Amino acid sequence: MAEFLDLENQDGVRMPWNVVPGTKQEATSCVVPVAAIYTPIKPFPNMPALPYSPLRCRTCRSVLNPFSIVDFAAKIWICPFCFQRNHFPPHYNSISDENLPAELFPQYTTIEYEEKTSSHSSFIPPVFIFVVDTCIIEEEMVFLKSALSQALDLLPDHSLVGLITFGTFVQVHELGFGQIAKTYVFKGSKDVSKDQLLEHMNFFLKKPKPPTGVIAGARDGLSAESIARFLLPASECEFALNSVLEELQKDPWPVPADQRATRCTSTALSIAASLLGACVPGSGARIMAFVGGPSTEGPGAIVSKSLSEPIRSHKDLDKDSAQHFHKAVKFYEGLAKQLVHQGHVLDLFACALDQVGIAELKVAIERTGGLVVLAESFGHSVFKDSLKRVFQSGDHDLGLSSNGIFEINCSKDIKIQGIIGPCASLEKKGPLVSDTVTGQGNTSAWKMCGLNKATSLCLIFENIKKEIPDTTVQSTSNQFYFQFLTYYQHQGGQMRLRVTTLSRRWVAGQGSMQDLIAGFDQEAAAVVMARLVSFKMETEAEFDPIRWLDKALIHICSRFGDYQKDTPSSFSLSPRFSIFPQFVFHLRRSQFVQVFNNSPDETAYFRMILDRENVANSVVMIQPSLISYSFHSGPEPALLDVAAIAADRILLLDSYFTVVIFHGSTIAQWRKAGYHNLPEHQAFSQLLQAPCDDADAIIKERFPVPRLVVCDQHGSQARFLLAKLNPSATYNNEAPIPGGDIIFTDDVSFEVFLDHLQRLAVQ
Amino acid sequence: MAANVPPPGAPRPNSNNFVPPPNYNPSAQRPPDYLAENLQNLNLNRPPSMPNSAPRPSPYGQPPPFPSSAPPPGVPVASPPFPRPGPPPGVLARPSMPLSGPSQATLPPGGAPLRPTGPPVGQPSPFVSRPPPGSLPSPMSGYVTPGCGPPSSGPFQSSSLLSGQVAQRPLQPGARPMPLSSPMIATGQFVPPSSGPGGLMSNGPPNFTSGAIPGAPRFPPIGNVQQPPLGPPQTAMSAMAPPRAPTMHSHLGGSVVSAPPGPPTQPASPFSAAPSPFSAPPQGMPPPPGSPYGSPSWPLQPGQVAPPPPIPGSAQPPRMFGMPPPPPNQSMTTISPAIGQTGAPVAGSTKIDPNQIPRPLPGSSVVLHETRQGNQANPPPPATSDYIVKDTGNCSPRYMRCTINQIPCTADLLTTSGMPLALLVQPFALPHPSEEPIQVVDFGESGPVRCSRCKGYINPFMKFIDQGRRFICNFCGFTDETPRDYHCNLGPDGRRRDADERPELCRGTVEFVATKEFMVRDPMPAVYFFLIDVSMNAIQTGATAAACSAINQVIADLPEGPLTIVGIATFDSTIHFYNLKRALQQPLMLIVPDVQDVYTPLQTDVLVPLSECRQHLELLLESIPTMFQNSKTAESAFGAAIKAAFLAMKTTGGKLLVFQSVLPSTGIGALSAREAEGRANISSGEKEAHKLLQPVDKTLKTMAIEFAEYQVCVDIFITTQSYVDIASISVVPRTTGGQVYYYYPFSALSDPAKLYNDLRWNVTRPQGFEAVMRVRCSQGIQVQEYCGNFCRRVPTDVDLPGIDCDKTIMVTLKHDDKLQDGSECAFQCALLYTTVYGQRRIRVTTLSLPCTSMLTNLFRSADLDTQFTCFLKQAANEIPSSPLLRVREQVTNLCINSLLSYRKFCATVSSSGQLILPEALKLLPLYTLALIKSTGLRTDGRIDDRSFWINYVSSLSTPLAVPLVYPRMVAIHDLDSKEDNDSIIPPVIPLSSEHVNEKGIYLLENGEDCFIYIGNSVDPDILRKLFGVNSTDEVSTQIVLQQYDNSLSKKLNDVVNEIRRQRCNYLRLKLCKKGDPSGMSFFSYMVEDQSQGGPSYVEFLVHIHRQIQVKMSS
Repeated sequence: MAEFLDLENQDGVRMPWNVVPGTKQEATSCVVPVAAIYTPIKPFPNMPALPYSPLRCRTCRSVLNPFSIVDFAAKIWICPFCFQRNHFPPHYNSISDENLPAELFPQYTTIEYEEKTSSHSSFIPPVFIFVVDTCIIEEEMVFLKSALSQALDLLPDHSLVGLITFGTFVQVHELGFGQIAKTYVFKGSKDVSKDQLLEHMNFFLKKPKPPTGVIAGARDGLSAESIARFLLPASECEFALNSVLEELQKDPWPVPADQRATRCTSTALSIAASLLGACVPGSGARIMAFVGGPSTEGPGAIVSKSLSEPIRSHKDLDKDSAQHFHKAVKFYEGLAKQLVHQGHVLDLFACALDQVGIAELKVAIERTGGLVVLAESFGHSVFKDSLKRVFQSGDHDLGLSSNGIFEINCSKDIKIQGIIGPCASLEKKGPLVSDTVTGQGNTSAWKMCGLNKATSLCLIFENIKKEIPDTTVQSTSNQFYFQFLTYYQHQGGQMRLRVTTLSRRWVAGQGSMQDLIAGFDQEAAAVVMARLVSFKMETEAEFDPIRWLDKALIHICSRFGDYQKDTPSSFSLSPRFSIFPQFVFHLRRSQFVQVFNNSPDETAYFRMILDRENVANSVVMIQPSLISYSFHSGPEPALLDVAAIAADRILLLDSYFTVVIFHGSTIAQWRKAGYHNLPEHQAFSQLLQAPCDDADAIIKERFPVPRLVVCDQHGSQARFLLAKLNPSATYNNEAPIPGGDIIFTDDVSFEVFLDHLQRLAVQ
Repeated sequence: MAANVPPPGAPRPNSNNFVPPPNYNPSAQRPPDYLAENLQNLNLNRPPSMPNSAPRPSPYGQPPPFPSSAPPPGVPVASPPFPRPGPPPGVLARPSMPLSGPSQATLPPGGAPLRPTGPPVGQPSPFVSRPPPGSLPSPMSGYVTPGCGPPSSGPFQSSSLLSGQVAQRPLQPGARPMPLSSPMIATGQFVPPSSGPGGLMSNGPPNFTSGAIPGAPRFPPIGNVQQPPLGPPQTAMSAMAPPRAPTMHSHLGGSVVSAPPGPPTQPASPFSAAPSPFSAPPQGMPPPPGSPYGSPSWPLQPGQVAPPPPIPGSAQPPRMFGMPPPPPNQSMTTISPAIGQTGAPVAGSTKIDPNQIPRPLPGSSVVLHETRQGNQANPPPPATSDYIVKDTGNCSPRYMRCTINQIPCTADLLTTSGMPLALLVQPFALPHPSEEPIQVVDFGESGPVRCSRCKGYINPFMKFIDQGRRFICNFCGFTDETPRDYHCNLGPDGRRRDADERPELCRGTVEFVATKEFMVRDPMPAVYFFLIDVSMNAIQTGATAAACSAINQVIADLPEGPLTIVGIATFDSTIHFYNLKRALQQPLMLIVPDVQDVYTPLQTDVLVPLSECRQHLELLLESIPTMFQNSKTAESAFGAAIKAAFLAMKTTGGKLLVFQSVLPSTGIGALSAREAEGRANISSGEKEAHKLLQPVDKTLKTMAIEFAEYQVCVDIFITTQSYVDIASISVVPRTTGGQVYYYYPFSALSDPAKLYNDLRWNVTRPQGFEAVMRVRCSQGIQVQEYCGNFCRRVPTDVDLPGIDCDKTIMVTLKHDDKLQDGSECAFQCALLYTTVYGQRRIRVTTLSLPCTSMLTNLFRSADLDTQFTCFLKQAANEIPSSPLLRVREQVTNLCINSLLSYRKFCATVSSSGQLILPEALKLLPLYTLALIKSTGLRTDGRIDDRSFWINYVSSLSTPLAVPLVYPRMVAIHDLDSKEDNDSIIPPVIPLSSEHVNEKGIYLLENGEDCFIYIGNSVDPDILRKLFGVNSTDEVSTQIVLQQYDNSLSKKLNDVVNEIRRQRCNYLRLKLCKKGDPSGMSFFSYMVEDQSQGGPSYVEFLVHIHRQIQVKMSS
């Protein structure tokens, strides 16, 4: 396990198969695809940033890397991907065995090039445009206003800020007009194209409008003044913005008692996108949407205004009876396309008890690499702290970067099916593009409008190597090479190129089994499977995730397990595979697969986070971690099982979205009695404090900030814990349970699951 | 002057408190140099101090306190206390007694109907015209009539002398009654003079002139001019022929009467087809036999005049209106011998003496008018005169008057008469200050008593029977049960005993408090939404600033109800609303950029109670002009803007006041400069010229109908320098009961004052909202059509989102059955409306008129002002849909037809050589001529001017109709010299250039515009006194009248303010100078002159006469 982590710490990559099944057939039988979870801009403290441009292969454009074969004498390097011989340019003349450029150091398989900031003038500061829902109750409005004004304080002074509010109408605030507060008001029910917007807002009043094509900010003749009407440096518009926020009122249009408020989220977002497209195309800009309820107006409406119509559920989606869904999704696909084209990001902060339409918005958020936060209220810490984190600088900053382009090079027998993760295909076809598409595919390059240091992509590869006749040959060339190029605008504004080059051995034929097993990263595999199953659930009609997962698991077990045929009791798994069934068991029970306890919005939310998180965090989402605290021992990991519950223990459950501190009944009684306040019971006080500290540590690092639940055994909030535990003890159990807690469920427990697995695997 | 004004009764309580709004008379109140400091009258007009306190008009616009009572006669300060222009202050101004007889050269307006109180000696003429029944002896006076009042200096005067105006005799040198009078068109009731000397007479005038006043200055006492007729006709004859023409000219001014000169000069005249009657004579030749007007007709005059030389009035018997019809021949009131030639064929040329043909003369004194007397309808005084009404059963003629004061029993009779039958309804007309206010009657829960069948409202003409238990409806004849709690016994006279205590049973006009039954919803508060053009042009011309400043000042004048609501928006190519909610630190501008598909950006806060947003509003209005000063947006989305504003007002309705400066060029209802297209494409443009006077499409009309449906009334103030397509734009106000104000070309210097005053009057005048009006008639008559500014969605009712005291609606009537001779026919106008204070009321005006089957009665009771108003409105309606020539022809034919009918069936004189005019209609030809030459019917006018004219006419009230086409002209250079005249307004001068002296300065006004013409050789001293300049070159055409510290200037200001008050209009002042376009436009108002636009007055009479002859003989 540890070696995989080391690899991750060097390159930001986790692969299920670190030894690659060598042929197409073999890869197929391995069930878990050849894939990689890659965190493109994961920070590495020791990684140098080279102040020069990379050397690229003449034919395949891959970048010089430690795996290149260098002929120092001839000053030639051979590209490991296409075997093209390239001459070093003159400034590499001094290269020698002793004098290597950093990119050839073996430990710098991941390295960054920093573009010379020759054209500093073209540097455009980060742009934030706030899109604020006003169809919310006064109380929420107060919360939201205070959160926003806090956020404004955190904004870098030079960043450009704009404000759009919406409700029944969309109001674009002209912050740069000094004499009077001024807003442009657009009808919520009508989508406004960018051209119309340009016209309506008088952008080209004094000049002829460029005939056709993309109208791109200052380059196309848009004067700086007209841009400055809507986007102002934070330092300049602080007053205007604050006074607008201060005066911001609940949407004044009356809402009949039997109706939902008229909320035109989609139109507002579309206008925001068009405004950015008009003003600052191509430079990093984020639309930050704060939405407090379902969209009921405009092309992206998710439900009608009448309260008699419920908001779509998973059931409606399955039956295809959600009448607004497809139209809305289609609209947001268009919006996503526009944003990707412009290089802008859509972030969503959804705070409502009801759904707001994340399921529909998902496409736009995910393709642009936007952030998403779902909370119950604008007053909730999940929202407030997450928003702060966005702008926070320091250790826990998100490292928001923008305008990324991600490219892949790999050896010729490997093709790329696509990426599951926050990015958008650039439709760059090439020889290494597979016909099979998974996620964003059909390309070898992707746009990542927004990315941060945690953003992780799941790359799905396909091995097309034919059967090799001579299986015994283990030539030196049994290496696959992968090169990941990420070109992005760093937080600081400069453009950077990060290059990660990997080499993985492939094996085939008899005897390759042990190699495959040794290279199997079960955590990464679980995460890849989780992303795959989520993806398939969303895209494949009639897809049965449980069946698919079970089949996959059985298949793997029967292929990699040790057993005698038809003897379940003889079944055993290598340690490399041993927890994989458990991951699958929890994945089957997770929110990613068991959607019916969640709303489509929640599911979309969970999946979006899953699709952007690294392996470690994803694993927590699949199988929460449980730590037990007691007087008997120090904090220790506990089995995620109802049996872990004990009256004299405190449990800390981290299920990623929720962190639960669970006080056993005795602990709870003590606490209620106030023992921890007594000097003689300092130990108890410390015991109480320990999980809180750990929880804080988790919360601090995580985005979105998880919800912290502190509960007692048998309390109502305890459900947050119980739902995640293996139901080894249910009301069906006859024997009394040691921890005294049972879970009211008909779900099978892990033991039963394993029994069945063994039986099926050995058949 | 104050003498007759204040009615004897105690002063009405409110008359003092009352401070009506627009103070038209700023200058009077100010220290002289105040003006100098403030070039813009604007400031002046603010009522800086209202001496009389109470700033608010009563809801019904009680007229202001009587000005006259305050100021001493001689003091020029008439106006100060009355900021409001409205009421007829004229009353004061007019001398009750004709003092300076001679000086009033103009002809009197054919016997103003005065009540036949004993004819005081001092007021001979008016009374004379209608001697009391018994006073046969007075026939003489009848004679006088024509020369109205006092001083008629003309031939008629002589007659008046007879009647006892001895005093005047001296003035008139040789005035000999009968003979002299013959030459002219006798407006009097007697058969004229045609007698013996007839022919001579006709020639007389010219001669006379030539002789008597050879080269005399035309002006001086105009009276002089008219005196001539005396002249020895014969000499004239001899003198005649060629020489005569010149003399004429000398008198009348060259262009005026071109007729006289020989035929050669004539050809171009419209009458050219047939040799002009005039043309022939000069030659001394008998007219060619073939000519329709052939000699036969003319010669008749001398001796053939049928009626015996009625000398001392073969006594026109009493012509009281109420009297039984006089014998036919007597009813023939007018004969114009004028055209006649001398008896001898020899004397070819016959002339009409231009000085003696009928002309309007304002009534000189206030008349007390009782609407019914002796249970008979009393014919109302002329609409243009000054009168005080006592409502004794019929409504005041201000509210409703009929074209004929007796109703023809059959449709045939009406057709024969050639007269229109229509009502002119002006439900909110301003009463005279001395009139009693309309009484409000509250019937409580049950609502007003109404006929259960036709829903007619209880009125004095409902007949109670059966001990009062039942009543018969005077409209449908149905017998209703009297509601139990309304029951009252009848007295011996068959009237209810309580009739005199109940206003609804003894007054022609009452107001009922509306019950729930009359409400679709609760009455809405008064809502005022201001919409201001801020496009580049508007900003740069100062129109925006003017509008903002006007609004800012007017805010204080808005009705102060707790619920009065205001809103404001501006627009260029986008629409800008403002959130005025108080909580906001500053107003928030909300821009609606989509002008194709508009919406209102806020539901509530764009319309805010005035009390909550006053400060914001003021601040905003101050900053709007600067806010947009750098705007480069030339486009204007007018249509979209009003639509958006409408959407904001949809829930409440109310008044939308739009300030527009350019052609709406974008958004919904965008218009194109079709005027230019029309010009560029002249060939087709000519044929289709009238199309430009129609709205370009239905977009705005459709919108307007929707506005009306939601009770939004739109007023548009057009402050422009260019074509804005008023024809299209005006559809909106016309359909919503609004009004168009037109400031072209807009001057930032002189127009803001008018803009402010117009706006102020607009919001402060008596008015109502969400109104519905219906007119009911007695069986036999029904309403044919309504015509005015309203929206009509069901055939019976008109919807008036807004109605105010200036709006008149014409209701044409038709027979659907015969009426009983001797019965009465009643008309009732019910107007359901909401007051500015949010009360729902029904104003019911009832008029009951006798029915007659005698044509002569119809002619006798014809109401000229009303009839002419009808013609005017009908012509205005026609203009956009017919070629101009045809409209003119129609107008002329209408005139000819009624005169023909009279000639044919009522006149005793059978001689075809006389033009005979019914007394009541004697001015019809003059007005018709004026109409033909008016802006609307001229070809040379700008399209927008004509459109505006058409639109202006559509809601024009009767008293203002005549002045519009036949403006009032007075001399102002010699105001000083008439110290003792107690009328503020100097005597009126006929509209002929002959009366315009280059040494003089003249003021001409038509109720809307006011032109000051400065002659070429005016004494610089006068110029300096009036305008503070030394020569005409220094004055620009746009002026702001200032008051300098000299009595002449003061008097001029008084005059102007007096006129403003009379017209309820601030009048656009324009200076005109000879030899520049402004001078041309001034002279275009000289309707009696011959001009491109039409014949001279004399020629026109001839034309009419000829047409009648043709028709008679055919």
